Amino acid sequence: MPNLNINGRNMSVEAGGDTPLLWVIREQLQMTGTKFGCGAGLCGACTVHVNGEAVRSCQTLVSDAVGKKITTIEGLSAKGDHPLQKAWIIEQVPQCGYCQSGQIMQAAALLSKNSNPTKDEVVAHMDGNLCRCMTYSRIQKAIMRAASEMRTASNASTERRAT
Amino acid sequence: MNKHVKLTERAPTDLSRRSFLVGSAATGLVLGYAAVPGIDSALAAPSNFEPSVWYSIAPDGLVTVTCGKADMGQHIASTMAQIVAEELGSNWKDMRVQLASNDPKFNDPVLGAQITGGSWSTMMNFDAMSRAGAAGRMALTEAASSIMGVPAGELVVRNSTVSHPKSKKSMSFADIVKSGKITKTFTPDELKAIKLKTPDQYTMIGVSVPQLDIPPKVNGTAKFGIDVMLPGMVYGKIVTPPVRYGATVKSLDDSAAKKVPGFIKAVTLDDKTGSTTGWVVAVANTFANARKAADALKITYDNGPNAKLSSQSLLDEAKRLQAKDDSGQFFVKDGDTAAAFGTAAKVLEAEYTTSINIHAPLEPMNATAEFKGDILHIYSGNQFATRSGAIAAGAAGIDPKFVVMHQMWLGGGFGRRLDADMMVPAVQAAKAVGKPVKVIYSRENDMTMDYSRPLTYQKVKAGLDADGRLIALNHDVVSAWPTARWGIPDFLTPSVDKKGPLDSFTVNGADFFYSVPNHNVRAIKNELAHTATPSGQLRSVAPGWTFWAVESMIDELAHAAGQDPAQYRIALLDGKGKNDGGAQRLRNTLLAAMGMAGYGTSKLPKGEGMGIACVSSQERATASWTACVAHVAVSPSGAVKVKKLTVATDVGMQVHPDNIRAQVEGAALWGLSLALYEKATLKDGGIEQTNFDTYTPLRMSQTPEIAVNVIANGDKPTGVGEPAVTVVAPALGNAIFNACGARLRSLPITAEAVKANMKA
Repeated sequence: MPNLNINGRNMSVEAGGDTPLLWVIREQLQMTGTKFGCGAGLCGACTVHVNGEAVRSCQTLVSDAVGKKITTIEGLSAKGDHPLQKAWIIEQVPQCGYCQSGQIMQAAALLSKNSNPTKDEVVAHMDGNLCRCMTYSRIQKAIMRAASEMRTASNASTERRAT
Repeated sequence: MNKHVKLTERAPTDLSRRSFLVGSAATGLVLGYAAVPGIDSALAAPSNFEPSVWYSIAPDGLVTVTCGKADMGQHIASTMAQIVAEELGSNWKDMRVQLASNDPKFNDPVLGAQITGGSWSTMMNFDAMSRAGAAGRMALTEAASSIMGVPAGELVVRNSTVSHPKSKKSMSFADIVKSGKITKTFTPDELKAIKLKTPDQYTMIGVSVPQLDIPPKVNGTAKFGIDVMLPGMVYGKIVTPPVRYGATVKSLDDSAAKKVPGFIKAVTLDDKTGSTTGWVVAVANTFANARKAADALKITYDNGPNAKLSSQSLLDEAKRLQAKDDSGQFFVKDGDTAAAFGTAAKVLEAEYTTSINIHAPLEPMNATAEFKGDILHIYSGNQFATRSGAIAAGAAGIDPKFVVMHQMWLGGGFGRRLDADMMVPAVQAAKAVGKPVKVIYSRENDMTMDYSRPLTYQKVKAGLDADGRLIALNHDVVSAWPTARWGIPDFLTPSVDKKGPLDSFTVNGADFFYSVPNHNVRAIKNELAHTATPSGQLRSVAPGWTFWAVESMIDELAHAAGQDPAQYRIALLDGKGKNDGGAQRLRNTLLAAMGMAGYGTSKLPKGEGMGIACVSSQERATASWTACVAHVAVSPSGAVKVKKLTVATDVGMQVHPDNIRAQVEGAALWGLSLALYEKATLKDGGIEQTNFDTYTPLRMSQTPEIAVNVIANGDKPTGVGEPAVTVVAPALGNAIFNACGARLRSLPITAEAVKANMKA
C-alpha cells in the first residue's frame, strides 16, 4: 500500500501504483476540492503541488508521488486565507467555481517563486488552465493583487527584522 | 407554531407567452414528490419562522433562502437572497442559501416548473422574492409591535433589527423568532396587495454585495454533483458507440473487464429517453477501475442509419430543404415580400452558417443514484429538475413521485444540464448492482455525447428601394430543433401560417426590432440533423446564430446602400408600431457602445477596423438591449487579433452591478470563443472532437481587453447571462470587413477564410 504525504500528513492509500493521483485524492481521501476536468492534462482543473511544483494530478501516477510533498487546495492555507484565496474573494473571481481550485494552485506555484510577475508572465503561466465561464480577467487581477499583498507582507517582515 | 404564508399565487407577469408553462405543470410536466424525512430539514425545524417556501429565519437570526434555480455560476442563489433581503430588511451577513429539491413547491413562480435558462431567473422571480421578503418583514414587525407595546407604524426595520426610534426600544430578528409570537399570515390576495419598495427606497438592490457562494469555491469545499460521496457507493464509466445516435449494441464481451480489480458489472442501457442509443456502463469499486473496465469491454455495434453522415451532409440537406418553397413554417410574416422584391431597386442574397458547437462545461456530466426504500435519490447539478426527475423515474421504471432530486452546485451549465441523459446510466447501474452508483462521463464521453448547438444554415434575401431603404427581407433558418426534442408541446410556438408548431428556440432574434415593412422568417427543421446530432440549448441558443445572419446582413446592406452601418441601423430602429419602446432602447444602447469605443472618431491604422452589432436577445418579450463595438487588427495572413470588445447593455434594473458585469463579460467572451475558436464536426455519424486539444475554447492568452457598460434605467430587470454572447460574432465579422474587406459568413471565422475573402 503506497504511502503519500498530503497536506503535511502521511496517509496510506489502497491503490495500484498506476492509478492517477487525482482519483486517490478525491475518492479515497475524499478531498474533493481537486477537480476532474479532462483526464488528459489539457484543462488544469486537477492541479495540485508536488514538491512545490504545479502538476496535473490526472497525469501523475500514485507511484510517482510517493515520498514527495503533495499539497491540494485543502492544504494551501490553514484557514483558506492564502493571499490568493483572499484576493479571489475580493475580486469576486469565481462564477461556477469548478476550475478555481486548479487556477489558485497553478497561481500559487508562480507566486511562490516570483512575487512580482508581469502580466505576460501571469498569462504564460496560467494559459494551460481553462475557465469555461471565462473569468480570465478577474483571475489576472486577483493574481496581481495577491502578489502585491505578498510583497507588502514580505517587506513589512523584512523591516521588522531590520529594526 | 408559526402560520406560514403560502405563495401559491403566480407572480404577475407580462410574459404571457410563458404562462403556458404554468398550465403544463398541472398536466404532463408535473412531477409528483414524496415527502421524505430529512429533506429540507432546515426548513422543517419547528422553531424556525418560515414566512414562505422561499426562506426561513432560525432562532439565531440566520435567514436561509432556498433557491429553486440551478446555480451554474450566475450566482442566482445569492441574487434571490439579495431580493428577499431588500424587502425583509435583513443584514447581508445573516443571509444563507441552500439549493431546492424537486418538490414542486419550489417551482418557478412564473414558469410553474423547475427549469433554469433563457436568462429568465431574475426577471421571473423578482416579484415573488420581493413579496416573500416583504411579508416576512410585516409579520416580524407586527410581532415586535405587540411585544414592545408600540404602534407597528412607528417601527423601523433595518439590519435584521426592528426598532422603535421614539422609545429607543429594539428587537433583533433572532429575538422575535425566539419569542414564538409571530402569527401574521397572508392570503394570496393580501400578498398581491403588498406595496413593495420603489427603486429610490432600495438599500440592497443595486449593491454589489459579496456573493454567498464564492468563499466555498476558493477553498475547495463547495460540493458539485461530481463531489457527492455516499456510503457503499461504487462508480460507473460509460462507453458510447462511435455514432452519436442510432447505433445498437450487437454483442458485449466482458471477459477482459472481469480481470480488472474491483470490476462489478457491465450494463447495456435500456434507454427510452432518446438520449442516445447503444450505450453501456461499466461499474467498479473506483472510477479509475471503472474506466479500466470500460476500456476492456469488447463491444460490437450495428452503427445504424446515421453512420455515414457528416457535417457536409447535414449542410447539403439544409440547403436542399431551404430551396423548397413548402419547407418549414413561418415565424414572422409581415407584408408581402414577394411583391416588394418586385419593386426593389436592389436585391442582395447571402448564406450564413454556424458549425456544431459543444457545451463542454468544465465539470463533466455526472449523476449519483441511490435506491433507498421506495425512493430513488438522485444527486446531480441539473437545470431542469422537473423533467430530469421524470426521466430518472422512467429509467428506473417507477412513478416520478418516488424520485427526489438533490440539487448540487453546477460546474458550468450553459444549457447542457437542461438534459438528463446522465440519469439513465446512474439509475440503471444502481438498480443492477444494488448499490449507490456515481456515473462520471470522461471528457471524451462528454464531448462526443453532447447535445450540441446545431449546425445552422441561414439564407437571407433583402430588397432595397432606390434610396437604399430596406423594404423586404426573407430569412430562412434551417437547423435541428433542440427544444422540439424535449417532447413538451408547450415549449413550441404556433406558426403564423398555421402549419403547426415550430421551435422558436431556433428563430428567436430573427423577429428583431428593425422596422421592415415586408418581412418573412421561416423556421425549417433539418430532420436529418435533428436525428443524427440530437441538439440542445447552448448558451444564448437561437440568437447566437440568427443575429450572426441579421447583423452581418444589415452591415452588408448599409455598404450596398453606401451608408454608414451605424446610421443605417439607427434609421431602421424608428420605433414604429410593434417596435415602439424596444427599438429606441436598442438605438440608445448602440449609441452608448459607439461612444465608449470612440467609433468613427479617429482614423485607424491600415489593417485595423471597428465593427458594430446590436441585438435584442434573448426573445422579444425578454430582451436585454445589447450592442458591441469590436476593434480588430487583421494581418496579411488573415489572422485576426481582437484588440478590444466594447459592450453596452440595457438591463432595466441592476440587482447586483458587479455580477452583471461578470456575466456580460463572460457572455461576450463566449461569443468571441464561438466566433473564432470553437468548432466541432461530424464524421461517420460521430463527433470528431474528443477533448480540449481539438475542441479549443478561449484561453487567457486569447482574452482581449473588454469594456462593459451597463445601462439601468429603472425598468424591470432583464437577463444578462446570454445576450452578450450573440452580439460579438457579427460585430467581429463587420470589423474584419472594415479592416480588410473580407466578408465572412461562416462561423467560426478562420484565418484561411479571412485571407481568401480579402480584397486584393
